[in-house]
Amino acid sequence: MRLPGIDLDPQVTAASEARYRGLLEAAPDAMVVVNQAGEIVLLNVQAEKQFGYSRDELLGQLVTNLIPEGFAERLIADDLRSAEDALAQQIGTGIELSARRKDGSEFPIEIMLSPLESADGILVTAAIRNITVRKAAEASLLQMVEELNRSNEELGQFANIASHDLQEPLRMVASYTQLLSRRYKGQLDSDADEFIAFAVDGASRMQRLIEDLLSYSRVGTRGMELLPTSSEDALQQALMNLRASVENSGAVVTHDPLPNVMADEMQLVQLFQNLIGNAVKYQSSGVPMVHVSAARNGGQSWTFAVKDNGLGIDPQYFDRIFGMFQRLHKRDEYAGTGIGLAICKKIVERHGGTISVESQPGRGSTFSFAMAGAERRL
Amino acid sequence: MRPIKKEGIMEVLLVEDSPGDVRLTREAFHHAEISVRLNVAVDGVEAMAFLKREGEYAEASRPDLILLDLNLPKMDGREVLALIKQDLNLKTIPTVILTTSEAEADITKSYELQANAYVSKPGQLDAFESLVKSIGDFWLTKAKLPQRRQSG
Repeated sequence: MRLPGIDLDPQVTAASEARYRGLLEAAPDAMVVVNQAGEIVLLNVQAEKQFGYSRDELLGQLVTNLIPEGFAERLIADDLRSAEDALAQQIGTGIELSARRKDGSEFPIEIMLSPLESADGILVTAAIRNITVRKAAEASLLQMVEELNRSNEELGQFANIASHDLQEPLRMVASYTQLLSRRYKGQLDSDADEFIAFAVDGASRMQRLIEDLLSYSRVGTRGMELLPTSSEDALQQALMNLRASVENSGAVVTHDPLPNVMADEMQLVQLFQNLIGNAVKYQSSGVPMVHVSAARNGGQSWTFAVKDNGLGIDPQYFDRIFGMFQRLHKRDEYAGTGIGLAICKKIVERHGGTISVESQPGRGSTFSFAMAGAERRL
Repeated sequence: MRPIKKEGIMEVLLVEDSPGDVRLTREAFHHAEISVRLNVAVDGVEAMAFLKREGEYAEASRPDLILLDLNLPKMDGREVLALIKQDLNLKTIPTVILTTSEAEADITKSYELQANAYVSKPGQLDAFESLVKSIGDFWLTKAKLPQRRQSG
């Protein structure tokens, strides 16, 4: 067949037609060339494959038989479009439509249109890409996001249940075992005293666990917008909250000038509080020395370090200590639920940073985390 | 010091559906050596009947203080609080919300409805006792309350 009047000279026409055919056949997508009447005048082998027709069946056929909606309308619109619009369309993203095979089955496509000047008027070349696989991937991604949202919501609901429905009966167990212990201690036998003491301790520990679990989940659910925050103020607030344990241990907490960072202030306070609280707590003997510093980390970011002279941590536990309910000590040595550092990790990650530790047993630990700086004056 | 007014013993209405909490509150008042008559309503409907002296509560005395839980069967604490504070006769009775909820929404809502105070029940016995003691010390001893009017 002859590509209608691309050029008037038959020799040149034949040559350019052959060249154009070659280009079409080399294209990875199905290609059809359509005239203003919407008839297919040229196509490649990919088009035959995609639509399930032979070349002869397709030539002269209306493009609406292949792409029922959205394409033919554009042929008309093309005439009305300005040159700028047409150019935008050429290099723009594709249009997603539905295509129909010879057997009637449909599949999703993306088409890119480009106008082609010819003696018979403007022809339109359409590159047609079968996007079944991409659509399926998008759909499965969407489904995963939905599932993730649902499971997040369930987790939020769980936190709610933990806050109320679990704490309520537990408060009864704790209060009444405490009342039993206070009123009847020494009046029953020593076994009874011991049993009651275990019950009191168990209930109290479970209360602490639930409270910590709640504060862990609230890092995500009750987090505030990240705003320019004075990390020095946050540190002072943390030290106020820790005043009792700092005073009791005689700890000396020092710090360098600290920068303004983009942070949720409450969470930054909690982060300092947990790290310094740990530094003061995990001490064998002597005066706990804690130093907080911040170093510019290239560009906008700051790396904070909380350094102590405490027990230190064996490197094999470096990853583990940031997990939920991870403890390295016997309960009678150092109390705790093992959630503190998990909360720290969650806070730092919510701020887009990472937290890490460097330590040697007996030689203290340094916990480091990065935060984006806030140069704007507060 | 016993907070006894010349009309007699202080009257407290505790609106609480959990028997464990009722007993715990009783024990806490006892522990704090504050003599009160602790009247108990186990849901909102019963609380309103008590306050309005309806049915079996015809002889009920007007409370000096109401301790109100929020989550109650039939009619919840928020509704009870709204009804109390809309009632010209009842609105002058100090009403303290005593609940497990620490939800910001509950706290705000309660004060919007004119609660006199909002306190959360602590999980530990000592803390609960000291809370009840402070409530008693303040509302039944230190605070000046309007003269108790005779039932009308």
